[in-house]
Amino acid sequence: MSNYIPKIQAKRGQLFDSLFILVLVYVSLYIPLFLESDVKSVEETAQVQSYTWEALGVSAVEQEQWQKLGHDPASAADIINNKFDYTIDPLMLAITALVIIGYFFFVLRVSNKQYREVIHEKFNGANKQPDAEARQ
Amino acid sequence: MIWWDILSYAAWIISGLLLLWILADAISVSREFDEELLVSSREGADELLEQIKEEEGVR
Amino acid sequence: MTAESTSAENVQRISMFKVLNPFHVWALGVGIVLVGEFMGWNFSVAKGGAYGALIACWVIGLLYSCVAMIDSEVTSTVAAAGGQYTQAKHIIGPLMAFNVGLYLVMAYTMLEAADALIVGDLMTAVAAATGYEGLNPQPFVVLTIAFLAWLNYRGVFMTLTVNFVITLFAFLAIIALFVGSDPLNPGSVLKHSDLLTDLPYGWIGVVAALQFGMWYYLGIEGTCQAAEEVRSAGRAIPLGTIGGILTLLVAATLTWYVSTGLMPWQYLGQATTPLYDAASIIGNPSLQVVLFIGTMFAAIASANGCINDAARAWFSMGRDRYMPTWFGAIHPHYRTPFRAIIFLIPIAVSFAFTGLLDQVITFSILSGLLGYTFMSINMMKFRKMWPLGVIKRGYIHPFHPIPALVLLGLCSVVYFATFLGYGASLLSIMAFYIVASVWFVLRRYQFVKRGDQFTMPWPRPKGY
Repeated sequence: MSNYIPKIQAKRGQLFDSLFILVLVYVSLYIPLFLESDVKSVEETAQVQSYTWEALGVSAVEQEQWQKLGHDPASAADIINNKFDYTIDPLMLAITALVIIGYFFFVLRVSNKQYREVIHEKFNGANKQPDAEARQ
Repeated sequence: MIWWDILSYAAWIISGLLLLWILADAISVSREFDEELLVSSREGADELLEQIKEEEGVR
Repeated sequence: MTAESTSAENVQRISMFKVLNPFHVWALGVGIVLVGEFMGWNFSVAKGGAYGALIACWVIGLLYSCVAMIDSEVTSTVAAAGGQYTQAKHIIGPLMAFNVGLYLVMAYTMLEAADALIVGDLMTAVAAATGYEGLNPQPFVVLTIAFLAWLNYRGVFMTLTVNFVITLFAFLAIIALFVGSDPLNPGSVLKHSDLLTDLPYGWIGVVAALQFGMWYYLGIEGTCQAAEEVRSAGRAIPLGTIGGILTLLVAATLTWYVSTGLMPWQYLGQATTPLYDAASIIGNPSLQVVLFIGTMFAAIASANGCINDAARAWFSMGRDRYMPTWFGAIHPHYRTPFRAIIFLIPIAVSFAFTGLLDQVITFSILSGLLGYTFMSINMMKFRKMWPLGVIKRGYIHPFHPIPALVLLGLCSVVYFATFLGYGASLLSIMAFYIVASVWFVLRRYQFVKRGDQFTMPWPRPKGY
């Protein structure tokens, strides 16, 4: 049986292929911008008008460090009050898990099929490779 | 603070020169050498095989 | 170090130079990673508080210790510039290899872009400190990439020797910071008892923090792409990689310890340059300068290593025709993958100038994570297909399959952690790899010589 003889690709095709992956990456980078924002902050129901260290719950030692970093209670408040929201959407979690697991299944299965072809050609093919050096 | 302006221009110019040098060298190499030779390297196998043979010879 | 090696068929072949030693390997791996100690790890504090960040530091440290062990075994046996890409080709199959090649190129090129941006931002900060507000960082971003690409183009020995020097300096800067924080007198400079709070978000915060715990170590697996250029892959790769992970465990712990002892966790969680800020609080001007230079050097070393590895991954794919053959060329004088290096320059610059730093970094981390998932599957198949004793392995890691299983488990947790903070990005990036895979199967694979993909002198694998 003869080995698989691959096609030789024209220059234009090579150029297109080089650029295709890049375009794909950029699309992937920009998509999340068009979907809802990733990091959700908890809504502040009560606006704290005057900021003091005590109101922010900052101890004396912490206060000293904040000041060394150049912050006053107002600027520190911005940072301290910016909290994360960890509510989980079970549907999105399920979809994401399926996508990741499904991706690996797909890649592993197709790879295995291609791999058997590779091994077959390498070890049974028209140019059989001697195994002598590999055996100890 | 003109130093920073000068530094910025210098950065652009040096970057430009480095990139031009690289491009010019790559083009001249592609012209001077046979394409078949340039892409002729083979993954690890040759050298690894020699290494194994060498080590086996020592034992 | 022959110029052209002649094989049995009497064909003249070009090859890379075998000039590297374990120190270069260490410099490559630690160089890529260490910038994560100077910035980025601290976002784990924002997610889960100071203790959350510490747990993340050690749990992810465990993940990466498994990576280092597994990587050392497979790489010391598969000595190729493609690193994990080559491993995938031999153990799982072409489509997996294509994906792994992309993981490498994307993870490193995007990290490189982020590193160059750091250098630009540092220049802007220095300018502001000397009175010049609003310095445009772009020329410095471009200069960083251009200079390092040129260095890489000229040769791997010089590239990694430079990396060794600057990485060593950056590591010593962290030690200097630790010493400067008067660690033997708790309370004098370091104020842990007052600054360490309970978990602000509970245990879910700790899980979320794991994603940024990756920053302490991401990239150590990059050592394996030096394999085609070291004098002895069986020795140098394990030494450099495991030495590297030990260095990083020390650096990460010291980093956490000093930072959480000086800064309130809410500030630390959003700081841009936590170690430099720590030096500023201590108030010693020489220490500040050392940390500033350390941050700069760490970013440069990282970009340098990234260019090295991304180019070799792209080159390897070109050599196998997964990508156009034209990229599989080696420079006849410098013995570097010169076309791959050139091609990736404008790509790195464009990533840097998107203004989407968050997305770019997430894409990089996720690509790395996909690579680690692959590694654990790969390791299990490797031992099954070629059991111990059937082929010559440079290094055999202990306790198999525990490291591989631990790695897989930890990866799953980090996917969940990423979902918590960056769910949309996660799906978008998976979409990229899925579409790229389909494209590879339908379009690229027809150009690939089947049997030629298997280049290692091994016998037929068990079960095939």
